[in-house]
Amino acid sequence: MAKFVFKRLIYMVITLLIIATLTFFLMKLLPGSPLKNQEKLSPAQQEIILDKYGLNDPLPVQYVHYMANLFKGDLGLSFQYDNRPVSTMIGERIGPSAYLGFQAVVFGTIVGIILGLLAAIRQNSLLDYAATTVAVLGISIPSFVFAGLLQYYFAVKYPIFPVAAWEGFEYTVLPTIALSVFVIATVARYMRSELLEVLSSDYIMLARAKGISSFDIMVKHALRNALIPIITLLGPLAVNIMTGSLVIENIFGIPGIGQQFVRSIMTNDFTVIMGVTLFYSVLFIVVVFIVDILYGVIDPRIRLSGGKK
Amino acid sequence: MERLLDVQNLHVSFDTHAGEVKAVRGVDFHLRKGETLAIVGESGSGKSVTTKALMRLIPNPPGRIKEGKMLFEGKDLVKISEKEMEKLRGKEISMIFQDPMTSLNPTMTVGKQIMEPLLKHQKMKKEAARKRAIELLALVGLPNPEARMKQYPHQFSGGQRQRVVIAIALACNPKILIADEPTTALDVTIQAQILELMKELQKKIETSIIFITHDLGVVANVADRVAVMYGGQIVETGTVDEIFYDPRHPYTWGLLSSMPSLDTEEGIALQAIPGTPPDLLNPPKGDAFALRSSYAMKIDFEQEPPVYQVSPTHFVKSWLLHPDAPAVEPPVNVRQTQRTMPQNFDKPVLVGGGR
Amino acid sequence: MSTEQAEKNVELQKDLFQPAEKQALQSDTISRPSLNFWQDAWLRLKGNKGAIVGLILILLLSFMAIFGPSMNKYTYKEQNIAHAKLPPKIPALANIEWLPFDGKDKDGFDMYKAKNVKEAYWFGTDELGRDLWTRAWYGTRISIYIGLLAAIIDFFIGIAYGGISGFYGGRVDNIMQRVIEILMGIPHLIVVILFILVFEPGIFSITMAMVITGWVNMARIVRGQFLKLKGQEFVLASRTLGASGNRLIWKHLMPNVMGPIIVTTMFTIPSAIFTEAFLSFIGLGIRPPEASLGSLVNDGFKSLQVYPHMLIIPSVIISLLILSFNLLADGLRDALDPKMRK
Repeated sequence: MAKFVFKRLIYMVITLLIIATLTFFLMKLLPGSPLKNQEKLSPAQQEIILDKYGLNDPLPVQYVHYMANLFKGDLGLSFQYDNRPVSTMIGERIGPSAYLGFQAVVFGTIVGIILGLLAAIRQNSLLDYAATTVAVLGISIPSFVFAGLLQYYFAVKYPIFPVAAWEGFEYTVLPTIALSVFVIATVARYMRSELLEVLSSDYIMLARAKGISSFDIMVKHALRNALIPIITLLGPLAVNIMTGSLVIENIFGIPGIGQQFVRSIMTNDFTVIMGVTLFYSVLFIVVVFIVDILYGVIDPRIRLSGGKK
Repeated sequence: MERLLDVQNLHVSFDTHAGEVKAVRGVDFHLRKGETLAIVGESGSGKSVTTKALMRLIPNPPGRIKEGKMLFEGKDLVKISEKEMEKLRGKEISMIFQDPMTSLNPTMTVGKQIMEPLLKHQKMKKEAARKRAIELLALVGLPNPEARMKQYPHQFSGGQRQRVVIAIALACNPKILIADEPTTALDVTIQAQILELMKELQKKIETSIIFITHDLGVVANVADRVAVMYGGQIVETGTVDEIFYDPRHPYTWGLLSSMPSLDTEEGIALQAIPGTPPDLLNPPKGDAFALRSSYAMKIDFEQEPPVYQVSPTHFVKSWLLHPDAPAVEPPVNVRQTQRTMPQNFDKPVLVGGGR
Repeated sequence: MSTEQAEKNVELQKDLFQPAEKQALQSDTISRPSLNFWQDAWLRLKGNKGAIVGLILILLLSFMAIFGPSMNKYTYKEQNIAHAKLPPKIPALANIEWLPFDGKDKDGFDMYKAKNVKEAYWFGTDELGRDLWTRAWYGTRISIYIGLLAAIIDFFIGIAYGGISGFYGGRVDNIMQRVIEILMGIPHLIVVILFILVFEPGIFSITMAMVITGWVNMARIVRGQFLKLKGQEFVLASRTLGASGNRLIWKHLMPNVMGPIIVTTMFTIPSAIFTEAFLSFIGLGIRPPEASLGSLVNDGFKSLQVYPHMLIIPSVIISLLILSFNLLADGLRDALDPKMRK
């Protein structure tokens, strides 16, 4: 197990280094100058500023400098927002994003599991078909489309919920639903097929032959074994929530990282784009790492053999 | 001896898209206390379905018990509620499955899986159940049982897992143990060990065993009586000696001729049974085996054969025993070992008509 | 069975007990025609209602993507400010009460009369007076192009990479696997976004970005299959008979990997279509005056409260498009490789 964790850790670090390096060189390739109000400054003034930020150093020196800064959590300064540090900007906006993302994952996973469970128990019933249809619609309708339809029908046409803003729980309802649709659909599909497979397995038959009641079989044998692989979905779902948040936060006016990211794209605020990119990458890689370890801890087959495969 | 289990006219069908598959078509057999009944037949003959029906483990839908009775100590298992059946399963009747690699829950410790029926049926306290589980593991011959309790199935080899499954099946001292090809998935050396273990345990706890297999060698080794199944019906039953030394049904002949034995003289080839088992979606009219039998008569294609009794314990479902049927010689491999059984009647007695 | 009936059975005609003529073993004759893998898969696919609905939808949408833009006289970039923000109007359907094609806005006010417009815009117009019918189908065309492109990339890069890695194994495989593991660790969308920032947003950058990231999943699947198949007896047998590497790959391995490859490709298409729409939605994809379903949806948000048709029409098309490919992919997976269900 320790070896397994160590190996994953090494991969994580290598991946992060590569992403950081990639980001650095892409920054260098970017068109335009990092200087704000360039036209107002004299060439001499420009030189002074470039010197100050080390932008006249040879590339390797800049690279080392950049990596060192990254290590300290310094992501550079925003071009657009009066040279504010990118890390501060992310820090200020992380709250709403994290809140919304967490709420969507929890809500989506629970609803998805219930939906998949019902579909599997009543296989080939009307309920099953309904759940399967919901699931395929859920993975097909893009989150921004779904958000638009939600907003139009439940905020504009029938004003049950506020259109946009971030002032309390009722403001989180529509964005949470919009974000969690994909989660619900994915989890429900996975849960259904996983549970059906478990329920038709020999060990469930043996448990029945032991005289265990259907309810106990479901709770003690089937559910646990069907739920374990669901953990592996958390990685892809985290990515989906992140990408989803880029559009959902804009549509519903939520002051999160996603909104900032899209704004920065519109205004070519490269340091912010790169900073957020790095931040998202780290988040994703850490989630995948945790999922891997968690899976190892929960599934005895992996826990004891000390690694997958 | 009293009949512990009496199965009468059992019909089991599966409803598929293509239509009703009649997997078991009117099976009668019984089981006495302490005896071992082997049910033999090729795959698809309905032997596994019959025993799963006994445990009421046929998934419904698509499967269902269409008609018949399964009397266990006077109670008809077809009619009792699911709740009552749960009380019997694992306590009065338990079962061992074919593949030990898949029949244990991979994420539950072996100890817990053995304790489950004890906690459920014997209402034992946890500590008592644990003690009993350790005893059981020792009983089925697993060394170091206490440590093994905490392990997961994947830490056991195939033979060891089957021992665990046997321990689970025997946990509550069941009256009937159904073993569904318990050795098929194991290596030959392990097979012998498991068979020995089952015989030994049967003596210790006096359980009756229904042993399902397609391996006649195993049958000779463990069974008291044998039922030969073909196409969802029992075509011949008798004591082990009767089936091996005085078989009457062409299908039994076929099975015996295809089995190598030390008695087989040199120069006599093993005979394969030609063709494939019947399609139970449209069971053939008449004798299901007629198509593959070189002894088939015209009537075999028109009417289902009745059951004839050859001795107090020997029953055959074949037109060949009809007084008008021509005398036929069994294949050479069978003739070689043929003996006259002392209990045989002068001539076969008709006991039941074809359906 | 009573004895009476038993007696009856005894009174059977004697000639019935003559040995039957030796018949051909009927049980051995195969009554059903033998089907190869693809015929069998096609039969199974035909039985899947969802897949057939998906297939019909794809054909329909593809037809509209090809011919839709040229069905009326407008082009996708032609502006006519005087005709801006008109609701949809299809003269033939205008009198059907519940269909939104009567040219009236949400308050029931006939905009065409008000603006004195004689022509009918079937899907209405946007805020610059461009015809939404043409733009929507033009956008569909781009979506389908992206989907096909992703499939082609999957095919060429993914299969080649995975095939080489899986076929040669050993050190080659080891190195190639490390590369994949690291690529898998990087969120794809992030790479795509970075890539598009460096080049100009547009169809070329999206294409390039997908070339870089799109094939990883396919490579993994092909490699896994190759590794699995390579150890199987029929391949070993062929090898011992002296089959060349080429022959092994094309005659033995590839045909057996085609199922998973097709299924994976089919799942790549909807996700590529989504990625393009998503990028266009956040302003990184197709730029005006060109139209993409994603950017059309984004435009729709601007006038959501007054002109919902501008949001709803492209939303429905993009959803149907992705849905149809997902349905077909689900059906294909069930038909080709039931083990992949998950």
